[in-house]
Amino acid sequence: MSSSESAVAAKAPLPILQLVDVYKRFNDFNAVSGISLNILDGEFLTVVGPSGSGKTTLLRMLAGMEAPSDGNITLRGELINNVPAKERPTCLVFQSLALFPHKTVGENIEFPLKVKNIPPAQRKARALELLQMLRLPESYYAKNVMKCSGGEKQRVALARAFAYDPDVLLFDEPLSALDYKLKKVLEKELKDLHRQSGKTFVYITHSLEEAMVMSDRIAVMRAGKIVQIGTPETIYANPEDEFVAEFFGEVNKFSVSLNEEWGWFSQDTESSLTLRLPTDWPGSEQATVIVRPEYMRFATSAHEFDNVISGTVFNEYSLGSRIQYQVRCGNKSVLVEIPRTLARNAAPDEQVMIGWNAADAFVAEA
Amino acid sequence: MARLQVSSGLRYASPVLIFLLLGFLAPLVTVVAYSFASPKSFEVFTSFTLANFSAVFDTTNSVWTSFVWSLGLAAVCTVLLAIIAYPIAYGLNHAFGRYASLVSVLFVFPLFVSENVRLYGWVQFFIKNGVVDGVLNSLGWGPAPEVLYSPGITLFGMVYTYLPFMLFPMTLGLSMVPQDLVDAAADLGGGRLMVWREIELPLAMPGILIGMLLTSVLAVGAVAEAKILGGQSVITVVHDIEIAFTYAQDWPLGAALAVLLVLIIGGLTLAVLSRLDLDRVLGRR
Amino acid sequence: MRSQAKIRAEFFVRCWAGFVLLFIYLPIVCSALAGLSKSRYFIFPVRQFSLEWWKRTVASFEVQTLVQNSLTVALLVTFISVVLAFFGALAFARYDWRGRQLYQKLLLLPIFFPQAVLGLALLLWMNALGITPSWRTAVVAHLVWIVPVVTLVIAIQVYSYDAQLEEAAVDLGAGRLFIFKEITLPLLWPGIWSGALFAFLLSWGNFPLSLYTAGADSTVPKWLYSKMVAGYTPMVPALGTMSTLSAAGFLLLGGAVIAFIRRRREK
Repeated sequence: MSSSESAVAAKAPLPILQLVDVYKRFNDFNAVSGISLNILDGEFLTVVGPSGSGKTTLLRMLAGMEAPSDGNITLRGELINNVPAKERPTCLVFQSLALFPHKTVGENIEFPLKVKNIPPAQRKARALELLQMLRLPESYYAKNVMKCSGGEKQRVALARAFAYDPDVLLFDEPLSALDYKLKKVLEKELKDLHRQSGKTFVYITHSLEEAMVMSDRIAVMRAGKIVQIGTPETIYANPEDEFVAEFFGEVNKFSVSLNEEWGWFSQDTESSLTLRLPTDWPGSEQATVIVRPEYMRFATSAHEFDNVISGTVFNEYSLGSRIQYQVRCGNKSVLVEIPRTLARNAAPDEQVMIGWNAADAFVAEA
Repeated sequence: MARLQVSSGLRYASPVLIFLLLGFLAPLVTVVAYSFASPKSFEVFTSFTLANFSAVFDTTNSVWTSFVWSLGLAAVCTVLLAIIAYPIAYGLNHAFGRYASLVSVLFVFPLFVSENVRLYGWVQFFIKNGVVDGVLNSLGWGPAPEVLYSPGITLFGMVYTYLPFMLFPMTLGLSMVPQDLVDAAADLGGGRLMVWREIELPLAMPGILIGMLLTSVLAVGAVAEAKILGGQSVITVVHDIEIAFTYAQDWPLGAALAVLLVLIIGGLTLAVLSRLDLDRVLGRR
Repeated sequence: MRSQAKIRAEFFVRCWAGFVLLFIYLPIVCSALAGLSKSRYFIFPVRQFSLEWWKRTVASFEVQTLVQNSLTVALLVTFISVVLAFFGALAFARYDWRGRQLYQKLLLLPIFFPQAVLGLALLLWMNALGITPSWRTAVVAHLVWIVPVVTLVIAIQVYSYDAQLEEAAVDLGAGRLFIFKEITLPLLWPGIWSGALFAFLLSWGNFPLSLYTAGADSTVPKWLYSKMVAGYTPMVPALGTMSTLSAAGFLLLGGAVIAFIRRRREK
């Protein structure tokens, strides 16, 4: 464990792919507008964003299936803007997986080797090796690929990509069609595979969970731009703005206008609640205070937390190991999330006090 | 990449396009040119007159009656076929189960048998001493009434010949109706007729329209039925055209008739096709 | 959940389809009977069956020439139309290009065209070019009508073809020709075979186009028509029945090939 960790740390974080002010226009529409990004050698980078944010276009430019309209993409310092897909050391795993339906599992995996005119015996040996690496039985070699289950197909597609032996693997939401349980298993397998192979993975998804579980770094995209990039922890704890905060989980929002001397108290414009503000106030008159539900707690006294407000329990949602309560405070609805072990048997319409510490909230400019 | 695809599409289309330009468009242009040549001459490209067209519209001339017959028969034929084919198209989608493909092959197959052979079979069915007559005679109810060589049997022959052209587009159209929607409509309290009118029919319309277009257009251009079964009791437009080109040796008149027919057919075809998204109908996208 | 009403409707639909099918095959059966009866003119019920007219038809030199003409035309039409239509279908359904919508509609026009008029128009055009009609020109005429049909048949297969497979293959390093051989062609085989089958059978049975564009050469349907109009002999229904049976044979054979390709793929 510690040796492999030090190996990762020792690897100098050189960028393998560099994007400088890259644009992609379709007619009048900017699918990608001005992205600059360094993808480090050996990292697992996930690009997340809502559909239409340009992440697939970005990935296709990395794969060589689209050429940028403007800006430069370099691979280890060499300009590759117009290098076609087949000449790049990148390989894309499609959302549809794009397995060849008329070929067997083995033939699918061997495809890139056949392209390179590698003799059949060698091809087969490599295919069997890859089957083993992806935990598929050897007997699958001759199996019709369309008869494989969703998870098996996923592994075949990965094996085929590895057979090509690219430096960078690109993934276009390959897990999106799978059921929840299988997804959880494959997410972890993919992360293991990343570690084992030492290759660079660039993964796009609109699923926050996938991004959180697998990535070394996450880049958040919105409307063709990267809004924030950082480790999963940074992005979760310190979102750049409301969009990022909301994208990465549920939030309670208070739009605040500073109506007293700046620093400590202000009022939510909607509910007229007076709030104690966190210290990193941006300095503008208007801002949004954001508190994640898991930092909200039920209070027993008005001074237990920096902010305590009262309301009535409206609804209760079980999330498995955690429970969420929807609390009505005036005309505002606030979510409180607590571990099941701390669950309280709140009767509907029961009067409660909830609170949070100012340090657990963060402020986004309005 | 996008630009590259534009050229691939055109490149792949070009052999077919060039072929149709030479084999379809050029002959059409020749026909149009002939229609403006002096009547009963072969002076194509050298003379220009509208005499051929005025001859067609001359009411003292009987040529226009063939248009009336063709259009009328085609309209009736299309309506009859829509009624005949609908239940079968429904069955191919919902009732025949694993026999559906066998049944459709049985309906397709006659297309590959020359229409002469099939129509002549009907002649032998209805002719004196033929199947109907023979059966009635042997039962002592004969002789059978004369049905051959009438406008009615011509219509019958057309309905018979063009059935597959209505049936298959219609089947395709009905297959475009998701069963979920029909179930949902029924679940929301829609009666059978209401669900059919509000859901099934509008969603199946593209296919039904193509079927009606195909049959009406082909029926307007029908000739073999009138010649073989109808015994010239009805002269259809195409028959008139053939007469002008062969016995009458009046190519310009034949060409003028052909041009008018093409205008009717082309107008109808483009009017219907322009309303349809072929990608959706054929590719279920 | 099959309601009583639904079962009744299905019963009605089955009876109706059976009834219509009966009608469709009735004249074909009549024709077969006429060719198998001994008498010169068809009389029903048939008093004496014989194979005499079949034997005479098979032995006839004239008929042999007809069959040879029809076969040559059909085979040439099949080959040329499949090649043209294969690329035509890719343009129809695979690629997104500027003129595609227009191309799709123009391509369909010959199908909607009355074949007799198309034949006459081609005759005028050949006349203007100074070409003497023969079975060779009939091939061209058949193609004008059959290429669009075959294009449609193959296009339906192309629609279900996932173009992303080609993209994936390129990404894995494959070149154009390699992809064509390994991906495109194998996946489109069933459509290509169906197209070839349609081309052959439609050409084999075609009458109106052959009538005007084959000149002095005759094909089976053309000869049958001329004998129906004048000079009927039971060789007409006999040859008609043979032609029908061989079409059925080709259909079965072609269908078997397509089924074989599908099965091998699903193994």
